[in-house]
Amino acid sequence: MNGLKKEIKMGREAILESIKKNKPELLTVPEIKKEIFAEDINVKEVFKDNIVLVGGRIKEINIETIDAEIKESYAKAKRIVSTSSKTTLGTVSVSKDTDPHTLEDIDLAIVEGELGVSENGAIWVTADTSIVRALPFITNDLVIILDKEKICLHMLEAYDIISNRDRNFGVFISGPSKTADIEQCLVVGAHGAMSLTVFLV
Amino acid sequence: MKKTKVGLFIPCYINQLYPQVAIATLELLEKLNVDVYYPQGQTCCGQPLGNSGYEEDSKGACNLFVENFKEYDYIVGPSGSCIYHVKHHFDILEQTPEVIKVRNNAYELCEFLVKILGVTDLGASFPHKVGLHKSCHGLRGLKLGSCSEVMGPHFSTEEDLLNNVKGLELMSLNRKDECCGFGGTFSVFEEAISVKMGKDRIQDHLDSDVEVITGADHSCLMHLEGLINRNKQPLKVMHIAEILNSSL
Amino acid sequence: MKHSEKAEIFNKDEAKVNWHDKALWYVREKRDNSAHKVQGWEYLRELGSGIKANVLSNLDEYLIQFESNAKKNGIHVHWASNAEEHNEIVNSILVKHDAKKVVKSKSMLTEECHLNPYLEKKGIEVIDTDLGERIVQLAKEPPSHIVLPAIHKTKEEVDVLFQEHLGTKPSQGNPEYLVSEARKHLRNKFLKADVAITGVNFAVADTGGVVVCTNEGNADMGVHLAKAHIACMGIEKIIPQEKHLGVFLRLLARSATGQPITTYSSHFNKAEEGKEMHIIIVDNGRTEQLSREDFRASLHCIRCGACMNTCPIYRRSGGHSYDYTIPGPIGSILSPGKDLKKHSSLPFASTLCGSCSNVCPVKINIHEQLYKWRQVIVKEEKQPVIKKAVLKTAGVVLSKPGLYDFAGKSARFALKNFPKFMIYNKLNAWGKARDLPEVKNDNFDEWFKKRNKDG
Repeated sequence: MNGLKKEIKMGREAILESIKKNKPELLTVPEIKKEIFAEDINVKEVFKDNIVLVGGRIKEINIETIDAEIKESYAKAKRIVSTSSKTTLGTVSVSKDTDPHTLEDIDLAIVEGELGVSENGAIWVTADTSIVRALPFITNDLVIILDKEKICLHMLEAYDIISNRDRNFGVFISGPSKTADIEQCLVVGAHGAMSLTVFLV
Repeated sequence: MKKTKVGLFIPCYINQLYPQVAIATLELLEKLNVDVYYPQGQTCCGQPLGNSGYEEDSKGACNLFVENFKEYDYIVGPSGSCIYHVKHHFDILEQTPEVIKVRNNAYELCEFLVKILGVTDLGASFPHKVGLHKSCHGLRGLKLGSCSEVMGPHFSTEEDLLNNVKGLELMSLNRKDECCGFGGTFSVFEEAISVKMGKDRIQDHLDSDVEVITGADHSCLMHLEGLINRNKQPLKVMHIAEILNSSL
Repeated sequence: MKHSEKAEIFNKDEAKVNWHDKALWYVREKRDNSAHKVQGWEYLRELGSGIKANVLSNLDEYLIQFESNAKKNGIHVHWASNAEEHNEIVNSILVKHDAKKVVKSKSMLTEECHLNPYLEKKGIEVIDTDLGERIVQLAKEPPSHIVLPAIHKTKEEVDVLFQEHLGTKPSQGNPEYLVSEARKHLRNKFLKADVAITGVNFAVADTGGVVVCTNEGNADMGVHLAKAHIACMGIEKIIPQEKHLGVFLRLLARSATGQPITTYSSHFNKAEEGKEMHIIIVDNGRTEQLSREDFRASLHCIRCGACMNTCPIYRRSGGHSYDYTIPGPIGSILSPGKDLKKHSSLPFASTLCGSCSNVCPVKINIHEQLYKWRQVIVKEEKQPVIKKAVLKTAGVVLSKPGLYDFAGKSARFALKNFPKFMIYNKLNAWGKARDLPEVKNDNFDEWFKKRNKDG
């Protein structure tokens, strides 16, 4: 192991030295003129369209009806993990100590999204709200509950909004898991969730 | 007022194999109230050498080009790809005032007609279904038109000219600006792909009911014509200068 | 084998070439539609290019900043000068965790370093979990495209492959069935894996975090189930600030597949409690490319594959004809920097049509670099005798009008008077499938002289 450590150190110094020798003169970072991307659109409606475009479902509902709405969409789901206090449908409870392997046969996960992005239907989900990082991926189906006021225009705005966060793990999720690796045929449900339903409340 | 002095540049392969294209170009320019000169002793812009990696060996040809054309206000040639080479690859020469002048004032024929002379209607008549092959060096190199990859408003110098030709019906293609696969020496060193690309371009024109394929670069057309003739396909190729100069 | 030879073999099956061409053109069209919907797309590309140019000009400082921020978050940072070092570091981490089973999400860098065979020799099971990569792994082939690794395979071929390796039933290539079987097969692998390896799409200097983009969710399935996460990145993956992700994530998926964003854009800043996260920063020839002024911008590449999808040559010759980890136009400007001799035919596998440069989300002047590599190759690599003689002679002839006049006339004479069999012989690559131009009586020079005499 000692020998390897030495080499690693050499790697670092050698790389930095070589960059210093070979890099061009310093160029400035371009300033981002956000006004060029400005658009006068209904961000909520475009967001809804984009969720559908990326293979998800979306419904704007009254918060009181959320349990009924989820039940209607996922009638067969039995093993349900909810990390949201907005619904009482959870049947399997999780904590920070839950071994993600035990979630292998979860039917449905319900998590809260923190921010929606109009331009691409992506929703920001973090480890803080999903408790177990693997949850939104390992579940068979996924429900994300999102506050309809929390939708921004594009990714540049999104990064402004999430800039002051505790950085551990976060993910933009745009639709259900999918692949087109066999002859460019789009198939939904590769490794992650087979379906995604977004409830705007 | 002093008339504009135009030096007519006829690319080597057009001079030898397609004199009718050169004639049409000359006649078009003569109609348009400019003084056209055809400097003797022209050979080639050096492009075939440069594109093959022999840029160094092309310096003689490049210098000769500058020598031939340095005294003209404009240098006009019926080949986007050669003009592109002059404008973009003559950076291998020492940038003397003459070299800079030649590079700045070299124009592809269509661009010269539309941008410099401000003419789009040449009074031509050509009652046929025409497909426009947008050669890559003209389109992406000289920016004679908008490209399908680039987001922005549509424009096309050649279409502006063809749309003013009486009776001409400009057909819409499935792939509007795909390369034909000529590519200079690419056409022989990558023979299989070059031929396949050419066949596919031709099929697009056939599928679009085209009778005559035209374009501003006869090298692409030479490649397509070679395939059309070999496969006895019901298509003709004509340089855009020939169409703009026709009065059927 | 030269690109042209491999391309010729690929072209023996014209129906497959047509299929390959259409499949990729479809992706290119999706890219166009998607880009059209973005207000300020061309400005976005300019930003992408400008940010990357800044990165290269300050790369050492950004890497140091990145390392320091990552370490603050408990991430282990390693540096590897080359592929061997990279592989050894990966192995040392696996040894530390007593790992025997590894799941890997897509990483062109680990392909470049030939990590799989290295680990397999040490008795470690390495499973590529991206479906396309798994397909080519089962077929024992390299990926033929960086975003669509199995684009050269038909669904029927995948069907047969899965029957053989996964025990599936014949389905005549039913994609839904095949994907569902792959899901089951790979889920089992995810659940049993000790360590997950991923690539890195972007590494953010001012936060020390990395972003990985997938559609399938395979990177996340791997990372969140395994004890340790190893993220492998080339030095050029750095971006200055997190807000710049706003530029690159808008460009990446749209350029790659026409999606507005990948399904998952995962931001890894810290390992989950009780787990480890490692980042390996790799040079492997990149600083050398940085030294080449004409070719430096090739390091802007964000691996979207758009240049492959648009390239009329790539579409008709297939990724394997390039015989390099990164095929297509971008591979043709990267590979000569790695091994000029081996890859010297690649910069010539282009008509220089320029479409690659136009689609590139970070505005790499790919076709201009192809032209420049040609000049380098002719100087530094031995050229075929005939090609060299012909072009050298042409250089002399074209600089002398008298000689040229003579040469032009004799060529015309030959075209006009030799019988067809002499012109269309085996050596005549032009004439194999194309007729030669018909020769008219006069060339333009002669016509012009006559007209002036008459006039």
